[in-house]
Amino acid sequence: MEHLVDLDAVDDEANTIVASPQRTGFLPIVTNWFDRVFVGIYLFVALELFWMRFLEQSIPLSVCHVLAIALGVLIVWRG
Amino acid sequence: MRSNRVGWLLLAPTIAILGIFGIVPFLYVLYVALHQWNPFGANPYMVYNGANNFRRLVFDNEFLTSIAFTLKFAFFAVLSEVILGYFLAQLFMREFPGRGLFRTIHTLPLIVAPIVVGSVWRLMMTPSIGIIPYLLKSWFGYDLNIGRDATMAFALTVIMDIWHWTPLVTLTLLAALVSLPKEPFEQAQIDGANRWQIFWHVTLPMIRPAILATVFIRLMDALRTVDEVWMLTGGGPGAATRYLGLHIWKIVFPKTDYGYGSATSVIVLYLTLVMCWLLYVALVARRGQKRAS
Repeated sequence: MEHLVDLDAVDDEANTIVASPQRTGFLPIVTNWFDRVFVGIYLFVALELFWMRFLEQSIPLSVCHVLAIALGVLIVWRG
Repeated sequence: MRSNRVGWLLLAPTIAILGIFGIVPFLYVLYVALHQWNPFGANPYMVYNGANNFRRLVFDNEFLTSIAFTLKFAFFAVLSEVILGYFLAQLFMREFPGRGLFRTIHTLPLIVAPIVVGSVWRLMMTPSIGIIPYLLKSWFGYDLNIGRDATMAFALTVIMDIWHWTPLVTLTLLAALVSLPKEPFEQAQIDGANRWQIFWHVTLPMIRPAILATVFIRLMDALRTVDEVWMLTGGGPGAATRYLGLHIWKIVFPKTDYGYGSATSVIVLYLTLVMCWLLYVALVARRGQKRAS
């Protein structure tokens, strides 16, 4: 016995499944949570490298860890 | 729920392959990057040294210089390939005698291995035996020697990359152009648009996804180019063509400094992803946002 698929119902179902909730925070683009985690990790690495190059002689790297994690959390939460 | 299970089942081989050949090696490289490891050195064992490799990296002038050279190389090569590739794709859209033959010949560089491309170009550019220095000398009196002239060596690596990879861009853009519907173009002509307006407001927006995909692929390739350049110039003269891939190769193979080489590789991956993401944001995400608002 063949199974008939109700294509309209499939379309309706597809319309109700949104890939991921998107929103606009302080970042200049529409993002979902993955985008914000991505941006957070990239800024974390950039900040760490910058700190090692220019600031580590005067301020310890652990300060950078705290700042970078705080920035990451802020981006994921409000970005 | 059942369809979800089938979906995951169908995805499983891809995820497994991606995990085995992509994620696991990356994690291993990350692990090695946090160690001092030179198997042929005084201490052949891995010694954990935290972020010291990365610390060494940000003060490494050779690395920073090679980043600058690589970005310059990628910019000139990719931009030229996209522009030239688009014009060639437009040319192949027209009917002319020998189009099939010309299209085949034009695609031939794609099937040549990069190492062979590098050696052939090396043979053509070697001052004593190469055809190009000979012709330049006899026609224009110009003495081409890529072993001495840094600017010319850089330019030749870009030209070689363009020669090798423009066909890929042409094929991609040709496929995009062929698949475009005729109606918007007819509509634009009826509305009195000129060729430039049709290109800018109709063609370009419609083939934007293809252009973006091509730019991403070419950008990633250009940022990790090794073999062609290694054969043509060996990274010289000086460090004029010592691009990132070549820089990593020199750290990992001749110097066998695996820890530092891994750290460099991780940062190159980081730079590549950042550049692609920025390009994506600039060309896709912001535009999508504008459309949504």
